[in-house]
Amino acid sequence: MSDAALNLHRSAGRPARPFRRPTEEAAPARIVLIAVAVGGLMLLVGAPLVIVFVEALARGWAAAVASLQSRDAMAAIRLTLLITAIAVPMNAVFGIAAAWFITKFDFRGKAFLITLIDLPFSVSPVVAGLCIVLLFGANSAMGAWLVANGFPIVFAVPGIVLATVFVTFPFVARELIPVMIEQGRSEEEAALTLGASGWRVFLTVTLPNIRWALLYGTLLCTARAMGEFGAVAVVSGKIRGQTATMPITIEMFYNEYLSVAAFSMAALLTGFALFTLMLKTVLELRHADQLAATRRH
Amino acid sequence: MATRAPLIQRTAIPGLGLSAGITLFMLSLVVILPLGALLAKGASFGAANVWEVVNRPRVWAALWLSFRLSFLAAAFNLVFGVILAWVLVRYRFPGKRIIDAAVDLPFALPTAVAGIALTALYAPNGVLGSLTNQIGWQIAYTQWGIWMALVFVGLPFVTRTVQPVIEEIEAEIEEASATLGASRLHTMRHVILPMLMPAALTGFALALARAVGEYGSVIFIAGNIPLRTEIAPLLIVIQLEEYNYDAAAAIGIAMLVISFAMLLAINLIQIWSRRRIGHV
Amino acid sequence: MHIQIDEIAKEFGATTALHPVSLSIPSGALVALLGPSGSGKTTLLRLLGGLEFPSSGRVLFNGQDATGLTVQDRRAGFVFQSYALFRHMTVFENIAYGLRARPRATRPTKAEIERRVLKLLDLIQLPHIGARYPSQLSGGQRQRVALARALAIEPRMLLLDEPFGALDAKVRKELRQGLRDIHDETGLTTVFVTHDQDEAMELADLVVVMSMGRIEQIGKPADIRAKPATEFVRTFITA
Repeated sequence: MSDAALNLHRSAGRPARPFRRPTEEAAPARIVLIAVAVGGLMLLVGAPLVIVFVEALARGWAAAVASLQSRDAMAAIRLTLLITAIAVPMNAVFGIAAAWFITKFDFRGKAFLITLIDLPFSVSPVVAGLCIVLLFGANSAMGAWLVANGFPIVFAVPGIVLATVFVTFPFVARELIPVMIEQGRSEEEAALTLGASGWRVFLTVTLPNIRWALLYGTLLCTARAMGEFGAVAVVSGKIRGQTATMPITIEMFYNEYLSVAAFSMAALLTGFALFTLMLKTVLELRHADQLAATRRH
Repeated sequence: MATRAPLIQRTAIPGLGLSAGITLFMLSLVVILPLGALLAKGASFGAANVWEVVNRPRVWAALWLSFRLSFLAAAFNLVFGVILAWVLVRYRFPGKRIIDAAVDLPFALPTAVAGIALTALYAPNGVLGSLTNQIGWQIAYTQWGIWMALVFVGLPFVTRTVQPVIEEIEAEIEEASATLGASRLHTMRHVILPMLMPAALTGFALALARAVGEYGSVIFIAGNIPLRTEIAPLLIVIQLEEYNYDAAAAIGIAMLVISFAMLLAINLIQIWSRRRIGHV
Repeated sequence: MHIQIDEIAKEFGATTALHPVSLSIPSGALVALLGPSGSGKTTLLRLLGGLEFPSSGRVLFNGQDATGLTVQDRRAGFVFQSYALFRHMTVFENIAYGLRARPRATRPTKAEIERRVLKLLDLIQLPHIGARYPSQLSGGQRQRVALARALAIEPRMLLLDEPFGALDAKVRKELRQGLRDIHDETGLTTVFVTHDQDEAMELADLVVVMSMGRIEQIGKPADIRAKPATEFVRTFITA
């Protein structure tokens, strides 16, 4: 075949534009959509993230660190760690118990129970705080009695813990229930027929199957617990050095125009949020199989 | 419903008493009793009095503001969230994994942090605020600022509900549309978007519910001027600071009613879409 | 319409799905592409439909080069293995889809669209299911709706990917005859992909046996039975 014939053959019938798969958009449309998505996210999420660190370091690294070492700041950090250390394990225990109850047994009203567990997600944190104040506040019968017996709940640590547990209530249960439904009951039943005790079945059969989902749920719960503001603002009374958590202290500093102090503490919480996201991404990549059930939902 | 199932079916698996006990105790202590206390307070205050509080212009204005701006923010997130989900599932570009992780940042970032960060950005002397102020567009301390904060907190919902649905669209559906002569745009509008709609609306409703109750990220940027930029949750806080528990409870009940109406709407959307599309 | 495949080849990255193959399909023929999975038969069908673009070679429709024609412009009625019905549309809307997707200038009137859809529902012998959703249909009904949807655009050819693959044996037999009838009534050049040699032999005028991305033999069913060209064909059709 001559070169000319070859060229003719090549050129014949080739489209003017490159072939586009029928399941793809044209390149300009693709570029515009990517630009909108990436640009929008940079503006809406990226910019606030960057500004936290910019403002925190506005007077240099030393000033930022020093602001975190003030008495009020240290007290707030300690309090937030304490609250988290109490609230998260409470929720983990509740989440495991609720998931076990819901997935291993059949009973009437299960759907209603799940709705009740999900309820805190649809209630405003401020309303949640209000509820706790109304139940345990000094103006209620129970609250007055508790205060008289030296165990105040509202404007004290127990109230903050309750408020935190309320707003993070469904996190762990919600991650565990779909995973445990997917895994069924047969492995536990097999272990029981082999003579294992109930606790042994849970520790050696169930827990290894749900450990990544449990970690995932606990992680989300921790992030939310450390950062809760609305509910805590209502129940804590915002007593400096006593019931002011990190987010409450951010508000105090901010309102007193202590910008570096407010943003330094914000940067600390942001750092933790970023760490949480990183861990979450790693979990999703490494253990997608065990988390798949939840992500699909 | 010929025979009623027993309340609890016996199984060989142990731990019924313990797991049911912990579940119901925690649920009562944390959720049922406090919510009950709110409703009891409302009941003792009396329906007429509750209505009298809610009916005040300042309360109406706050409830309407919260709901309206939440709706507008969720509507923005509906459009932007679907685009974001599409781009994250279908396209490959550098930095995609970071963008995907960044979508969750509003979930992970404490609301107070988001609040002061957005205020610092959009305040008249802020990085972005000084730019928009030059064209006469003030964001912080106006309703725009509240809207911006509500867009931020509601951002992940639509994307995260729509993403798995896009992943599950079979290529053959889109190919079928093309073989029938439809342009890509026609396929998008008439085949793909209707398939994404139920999930997108669920995400919309979740974002809306979250925004209506939002407090921390809003109060810093809102300006909090009565009748203009005062949100409903702030009114509750103000009433509590004045030890006006009855009025706080009344507003709280009104917000609870709005939340439940939205919860109901979410469920209805899901039932409707499941019935309509079914599982092929 | 006469279809001419001229030295078409297709590579997906490093793997060759189709070595250069040539094939001439006479106008109005009912042709089966027969072969095991991985033989390249579905790739060839998708190349004809414009869903894939060949790495080299040409396709000619009635002697005209159609290689660069987009899917939309090819007007090939394509029936997918999964049927790919639109779940959120009724049967009526599914069938009307191709007509409604046309640009305004060539779009039939509402009344005309309705008339054509009802006629197609009659053709597939399911006149009363227009208001139903795909999830409310049996597998056999879905297959016929997919066929009607492909016919609605007045295609120049009919391409079917394992049209009976997802059905049980009894329904499969019934629908085979249904496809034959529709083919005879419309006179459309029809190509279908199958891995079932009974199906190919019973239904097609011309059978193309494929293996490993190559055409092993082209012939009438009786000729292929009588004189298998290669060892592969012999074992495959007696299996």
